[in-house]
Amino acid sequence: MTMQTPAHKEKFGRAEWLLLLATLCLVVVGVAFISSARSPAEAAEDYPVYKQFYFKQLLFCLLGLTGAVVINLLDYHSWARWSLVLYWACIGILLLVPLIGVSAGGATRWINLGLFNFQPSELAKLAFIFMLASFLARPDQELRLVANFWKAIGMMLLPFAIILKEPDLGSALIFIPVGLVMMFVGGIPLSFLAKLVGGASLLIALVLVDVLFAPKALQFIQLETYQKQRLLVYFGLDFAPPNATEAERRAARQLQEEKSYQVRQALISVGSGGLRGKGWRQGSQTALGYLPPGAAHNDFIFSVIAEEKGFIGSTTVLVLYGVILFAGIRIASQARDRLGKLLAVGVVTLLFSHVFINIGMNIRLMPVTGVPLPLLSYGGTSVIVSLIAIGILHNVHLYRRAY
Amino acid sequence: MIVFDQLKKNDLPLRVLTLGVLAGLLILLGGLWWVQIISYHHHADNERSQSYRTVRIPAIRGKILDRNGQVLAENRPSYDINLYIEELRPQFEEEFRRIRPLRQSTNPPVFWKRWLGAETPKAVPARLTVQQRATLNAQARFNVAQRVVGEVGQTLSVTIPFVEKEFSTHYANLRALPMPIVENLDSPQLARFLENAALPPSVDLETEPLRYYPNGQLAAHLLGHLVKDVSSKADEVSSVNYRLTDYRGNLGLERAFDEELRGKAGVKSVLVNNLGYRESENIWFPTEPGKNLILTIDLPLQKAAEEALYKEVGPDVAGAIIVMDANNGDIFALASAPTFDPNDYIPGISTAKMAEYNDPKTKPTRNRATQENYRPGSVFKVVTALAGLQKGVINERNLHEPFYNPGFFKLGRMTIDDEAAKGDYTFERAFIKSSNTYFIHYGLEAGFAAVQKAGMEFQFGQAMSLPTRQNTAGNFPTPAWIEKMKVEQGLRWQEGDTANLCIGQGYLDVTPLQIAVMIAAIANGGTMVQPRVVDRIVLQDGAAEDAEPRVFPYETRGRAEFAPEHLALIRKVMRADVAVSAAGPDQGTGYRAEVPGMNICAKTGTAENKAGGRVVRKDVWFASFAPYEAPKYVVIVMVENGVFGGTTAAPVAKKIYQAIQKREQSGDFPARRQVAQR
Repeated sequence: MTMQTPAHKEKFGRAEWLLLLATLCLVVVGVAFISSARSPAEAAEDYPVYKQFYFKQLLFCLLGLTGAVVINLLDYHSWARWSLVLYWACIGILLLVPLIGVSAGGATRWINLGLFNFQPSELAKLAFIFMLASFLARPDQELRLVANFWKAIGMMLLPFAIILKEPDLGSALIFIPVGLVMMFVGGIPLSFLAKLVGGASLLIALVLVDVLFAPKALQFIQLETYQKQRLLVYFGLDFAPPNATEAERRAARQLQEEKSYQVRQALISVGSGGLRGKGWRQGSQTALGYLPPGAAHNDFIFSVIAEEKGFIGSTTVLVLYGVILFAGIRIASQARDRLGKLLAVGVVTLLFSHVFINIGMNIRLMPVTGVPLPLLSYGGTSVIVSLIAIGILHNVHLYRRAY
Repeated sequence: MIVFDQLKKNDLPLRVLTLGVLAGLLILLGGLWWVQIISYHHHADNERSQSYRTVRIPAIRGKILDRNGQVLAENRPSYDINLYIEELRPQFEEEFRRIRPLRQSTNPPVFWKRWLGAETPKAVPARLTVQQRATLNAQARFNVAQRVVGEVGQTLSVTIPFVEKEFSTHYANLRALPMPIVENLDSPQLARFLENAALPPSVDLETEPLRYYPNGQLAAHLLGHLVKDVSSKADEVSSVNYRLTDYRGNLGLERAFDEELRGKAGVKSVLVNNLGYRESENIWFPTEPGKNLILTIDLPLQKAAEEALYKEVGPDVAGAIIVMDANNGDIFALASAPTFDPNDYIPGISTAKMAEYNDPKTKPTRNRATQENYRPGSVFKVVTALAGLQKGVINERNLHEPFYNPGFFKLGRMTIDDEAAKGDYTFERAFIKSSNTYFIHYGLEAGFAAVQKAGMEFQFGQAMSLPTRQNTAGNFPTPAWIEKMKVEQGLRWQEGDTANLCIGQGYLDVTPLQIAVMIAAIANGGTMVQPRVVDRIVLQDGAAEDAEPRVFPYETRGRAEFAPEHLALIRKVMRADVAVSAAGPDQGTGYRAEVPGMNICAKTGTAENKAGGRVVRKDVWFASFAPYEAPKYVVIVMVENGVFGGTTAAPVAKKIYQAIQKREQSGDFPARRQVAQR
């Protein structure tokens, strides 16, 4: 990475190899364990190869990698010029989802593209990072204006609200840490942020108390039933209201058992992996279907890895994410300008939030929200967007010096 | 730290971000450490308990063999057809989709098709409540299972009863186990099943070892029978989820040696998936097969004895036979009639059979040879004779003197008839003609104490403690017994009671086995042998020659103390009872049993059971041993409701002795391990 190297070599040497290596490792791990998670179902139904999930995931990875390479062809400034268009396009698509989207499990989050179900909220995260980064790239003194602060907040809350309505609490929540961290790093005065965070925390606390403990008449916030149940499961609270009859109580207990089933099975999967795990494709929780077959390959892929590869395997995954995240922070610190730095910080926060919420959910640190694990979970949009996000990170690295 | 060093020194927010990410990753790492390392066992236990079902498998029951290794009880394969429910899962789902109600829908899956006007209303599954879905699923499962069972029934050309309730109960409680649909196929059915290649893969043939008594009713009382059992033995794993059908001995040797025969049950684990269906099986604890019981019984002789009883007396006979080694107590044959077929209890006994076997009048499961009380009648005269000889009232001087018998005996107001004709009787003639008058006379002369003592020498009133636990002590007027009866019922022992006792009536109850031991003692010179039915217990697979067989030693019950010359005299007159076949003054009551070359010695008996002053039943005896010179065998025949011992019982004994003769000529009889006990 010295200036003396010839041009072609210089360009080659400028690539962030550690970042790329970790990414590639995670992609391979993802494909391998999706194959493992799906093997019981696919073996039973004798799928052709092109219909098997790991193969499809491989295709998505190639698409995503292509996208990442394309992103790196142009300086991020060139891309950032389109951020406004991208952002509003995403908002538009998000608004269209309830009209043309497909539903599953009571939520309308996807648009059927034939090859796969496209999830606009994933793309909106990238668009938002671009939008906010471009917005915050303005001179320091402008950032101290209250109006600009509120504009930034507005940019964050608009997609948040739309996605929350889908409903997709997990995806919506991601916008908050990403937005706040970008504002913080970007230079929005701390006093603003402190007030905002303080206020928001108070609000969240009030909402939780209202949802979980308030009697029916005093519940101002109406969560979807399943969301409320997930929260009750997370906080280990009784489903039955305090004045319930015995029959209601029994029904509630059964419901609770059903609802906490996923969490319980995920925990058993992770825990029974032990230090070394049961071996690839040897996970009994997966093979016997205790880990819900519909979720094992996406939201609960980490449980599969942890069961089959044990503490060693799950730590390895954490380390790989750590490599990507810290490489990202270094890229942010070495970025040419604030735009690059904020893009990098946005991507790092985005990835970190996903990792923390998803793995936390697998070990019952976090409530169950449908947040995929970047690069590992099965899902076309998620893996493509994650790879493009890492492409953006690399772009900031590649074009860190002024021409 | 390497990450920090590369950051610009004054970039505080990035440092905070770094710390935040680091903290987050460490929290996750800590959480994983907690879940995967610290609480590993907790989660692993949970995983096991939710995905394994344990099943108790009974061990293969040991065989019961006769002294030559011939099979008396064994296990035969029972061919059952089992339904493997987990194999039907795809069909359950298919059937569910077929029978679930539909509704019209106009919601196309891809949005542009709707815009292109390709909207077509189509039928989609209707929404169901959880309850409706469960009911529909149960219905689908039953439909599929019924179809499969129907197919099997068609193949076997039988109608297989298949009840929804049974299926749903099995599904709810025993889902991980195959459901038996046809049990115990006969061979044509088995052939049909095996020939038919087109049967669904969800049914399979399974063989289960089932107790089998190849000789049916033969020696049924001794062998006993089994009943279904659901308990665990103390040293077995008791906390299992399911148990397979097991049996426990409920009578005879099957009961007495249940522990040894049954072996130790094993445990297998069935891996089940989240829906409770079976995935695979695995043996946790293997079974330990039960041990084989080798008896002292000789199968051909047992057969001959039972045949003789049924042929000579009739199919409705009630009675008992004992063939025993006179010197060591080995029982060669032990029969009781009426009898039962222990096969009827496998796999379960029908109500009709149950009623028949529990009939309180005929009592077919009662072992009459060891468990029922009878009056010995004239057989007891050998005791009276020995008492008189011992006391000296019958002695060298009057042994051959004629004693006048008027044909009855008068004692106070009581008259006891004598079947023997009036006339002069020597000791021998009185014995072979079985004169009541003679023996009452000398019995009374010897005195009650002498008769009592002689009876106690032969241990009457004491149980013979066979391992079958079918023992009855009988009854004998010992001093203790008289004292007890005096206290309880105000009984005062009188001359008349002694007179009755002298001819084997009155306060006297014996089992045929007690008589057998008494005859053996007379034959062998006074040794009271302990009857033995089990020779040894050996490992099931190690065949007969086991490294450490449990051998049951020969035992004696002590001696009956009588002078050798008195016993020799009894043997001599017992021989005379059978020896003379021509009618005349020297012909004994037992002449019908004579087998040339066997030199049989015997005493017959005919005991009258009175009710309300009338004779209601005569129990007849033929108590014998042979040969005279060197006694080897004791044969006791007792028949309820006979005519006379000599007429009813003696011909049965003759058949048995003929069988013994035949067995001796064949060379491998009587014994494998003969131990001199004299």
